[in-house]
Amino acid sequence: MSSKFVYVTYIRTTPEKLWEALTKPEFTKRYFFGVTMDTDWKVGSPWRMVQADGKVTDAGEVLEAKPQQRLVLKWRNEFPELKPEGYTRCTFELTPQGDLTKLEVIHEADIDNSKTIVAISGGWPRILSNLKTFLETGEVLTFPGK
Amino acid sequence: MASRFVYVTYIRTTPQKLWQALTRPEFTRQYWFGVTLDTTWKKGAPWQMVFEDGTVTDAGEIVEIKPRECLVIKWRHELSPELKAEGFTRCTFEIAKERSATRLTITHESPRNNSKTIAAVAGGWPMILSGLKTLLETGSPLGLRLPS
Repeated sequence: MSSKFVYVTYIRTTPEKLWEALTKPEFTKRYFFGVTMDTDWKVGSPWRMVQADGKVTDAGEVLEAKPQQRLVLKWRNEFPELKPEGYTRCTFELTPQGDLTKLEVIHEADIDNSKTIVAISGGWPRILSNLKTFLETGEVLTFPGK
Repeated sequence: MASRFVYVTYIRTTPQKLWQALTRPEFTRQYWFGVTLDTTWKKGAPWQMVFEDGTVTDAGEIVEIKPRECLVIKWRHELSPELKAEGFTRCTFEIAKERSATRLTITHESPRNNSKTIAAVAGGWPMILSGLKTLLETGSPLGLRLPS
């Protein structure tokens, strides 16, 4: 047994625009709780999630990066309560479907009842709802704690 | 172990508009594969999902209803003999306002292990709910077709 979170959303956009929105700071800052992904998006490169105040909340490595198609991150939350759980893996799959793009996010841990997976299960629906709204309307939703 | 599918989406709309979009045929037809939900939306009332050609694919009963807040449907798939034999599932819709957004949580569950009905709805709900969000936020549906 392991722990797994899966979320699928269909967005009226192209794989190119969705890839940009997932990887470029000018976009992630808008819909992803203000964070920047600090990496060069090359396989084997370090990857860090940095808040607007400079705090690094999550870190890891780019395991796979196939622009417009697939991104896999080795991912550890850096907060003291979750860090001991070690690395999780987060996979993004982009599939064009007519004038839409299907985005599937699979975030998984090797351990049972992972608290990291429970925590991200609350975050991903907010982030991905916001991403969809951003790409389809140019605006974002606002959430408490942002 | 039972089977369970959970999906949460945040929509730029009000609980009132979301409730209308979930219950009225002029909305469901636009984002939910063309279906109409045939029911009086009263507790204990029968509930049927009817496609444009009149085919009833799913049927059951309204278990709980609190407009703009909560809806629970007793739900059985009717078309595939294999899924029908699994019996009733339960689908809960919960609506809550969260700042500029309204949160919709769908929990669709079956008392059976490895329910094929739950596996089937797990593919359908993200399409339906993506279309619902787009319709409410932009005024036009996504036009997703039911996978054949």
